[in-house]
Amino acid sequence: MTDVYILGIESSCDETAAAVVRSGEKVISNVIFSQIAMHQPYGGVVPELASREHLRAILPVVRKALSDAGQTYQSTDAFAVTQGPGLAGSLLVGISYAKALAFALDKPLITVNHLEGHIHAVLLEERQKGNYELRFPLLALVVSGGHTHLYLAEQQGEIWSYENIGRTRDDAAGEAFDKVAKLLGLGYPGGPVIDKLAPHGDATAVKFPPSQIKNVDRRKSAESEQAPGGPRFDFSYSGIKTAVLRYVQTHNLQPSIEARRQALAAIAKPAIEDYLTRCDRQTLDLVASFQRAMVEDLTRKTLAAARAHNVATLFVTGGVAANDELRQRFERDAAMDGVPVYFPSRPLSTDNAAMIAAAAYPKFLARNFAGMDFSAEAGLVLK
Amino acid sequence: MPELGLNDGRYTGFATSMATREFTTNSAEETIALGYKIASGLTPPKLVLLRGELGAGKTTLVKGIAEAFHAASQDDVTSPTFTLVHEYRGPDVNIYHIDLYRVDTQRQLETLGLDDLIAGNSILLIEWGEKFQRFERERDIEIAIESLGENQRIIRLKGKSLGGHPLKERQES
Repeated sequence: MTDVYILGIESSCDETAAAVVRSGEKVISNVIFSQIAMHQPYGGVVPELASREHLRAILPVVRKALSDAGQTYQSTDAFAVTQGPGLAGSLLVGISYAKALAFALDKPLITVNHLEGHIHAVLLEERQKGNYELRFPLLALVVSGGHTHLYLAEQQGEIWSYENIGRTRDDAAGEAFDKVAKLLGLGYPGGPVIDKLAPHGDATAVKFPPSQIKNVDRRKSAESEQAPGGPRFDFSYSGIKTAVLRYVQTHNLQPSIEARRQALAAIAKPAIEDYLTRCDRQTLDLVASFQRAMVEDLTRKTLAAARAHNVATLFVTGGVAANDELRQRFERDAAMDGVPVYFPSRPLSTDNAAMIAAAAYPKFLARNFAGMDFSAEAGLVLK
Repeated sequence: MPELGLNDGRYTGFATSMATREFTTNSAEETIALGYKIASGLTPPKLVLLRGELGAGKTTLVKGIAEAFHAASQDDVTSPTFTLVHEYRGPDVNIYHIDLYRVDTQRQLETLGLDDLIAGNSILLIEWGEKFQRFERERDIEIAIESLGENQRIIRLKGKSLGGHPLKERQES
């Protein structure tokens, strides 16, 4: 089999990213545009450029991805782009650019669902490590600031298909992490800070009753009619966020939180020690207990779903998959069930374009190419 | 649908054409039911500001509004904090649930292209819109949700006119 070089483009939300991946198994280049870095030379105010950040970023990002890979527009075999879900205006920038490339160069264009991309990030890295053995059924937890989904994935020939068997009904898990961090004066987004502070607190100190993170099934009968395929494993993280807020209010933590917020805001790039010295025992215990509750709920529901579907392989992917305690808990508990669990590396956990190029590879082999008539799908469903 | 269990809305101000109505709900289900009730008085195009602290129940209210327009089932409506804009297309009305929680600058706001969403058949429901003066000025209705404890919420509607009457048509730009 000859090598296939696919240029992936991802612009579904905040990030503009481009990458070149060889045959779905090797990251050749992976570029993620940082808006903050790009803003500085302009001093922050360029109104006519402000309307579409992605538009400014896409050209330099794609050029860098190609040059890092030692590739050119001409040497690339196909272009892959995220079609959704995401922000319509942002998606459209990537899509329009990819269409123009494919049209002008007369090369195949492949559309990828962003969530499918996260799943293929794991696959890509396993192949990169030489692990080509993949046993089905495969269950993937895609967990990030915007998504918390459980997908059963199947592969027939080169065609992948997915069935959603769980999702959040209100807030995504990553959103709960970020909002709790802000609530405690740790900045936003603060999911990674919570992860680093949690080991310093007592995770058993604050009890979050399961009722605060249960999935509120308001319409049990209607749901089971809709889902004859089996039970659902839905998530709900709005309640635990509110529970932390109540704890802060009833324990009168507001003054110390405000002091911490101000102290941390005065530090340009706070290190973990800066956070630690400004967190009292009670706050660290709260952070640790919150994270423990989140991790337990995510692992418990995912492993229950894995057992219900006799899953042979488990993927945990998306920004929250970078959380240390979540990784450790999954590794421990999945091992007890005898199910291997795989995570992406940290750079490929968060939004990136390598995962888009990787997910496009089986579609390339299946010659599943897009025409010129598709558009951004803000609410694109993975199936 | 659960019983509404609502008092029928207390009018608290008639000083000008601005009217305020106040409701109390005692559960998420009742807040969703109130969303239905509010939806029955909403004709597009509308720009609605949703105010309320973290966990007040803004997304919960949107579940009711979006479902009432057959634009989404309540379980499909999730928080747009990270994803910024959620679009729910109904047969007659498109609902845009927008969250500006993590949008801080005018520049970031413009990146969202919200002006593109304002159309004859759209209702924009904007959380944290009060961060930008523009929305305070342009909003047709403001819905403020105040949490009185674990389950009880006071929900205040303030608008140019309320009830089943269409509000002043917005000019399409």
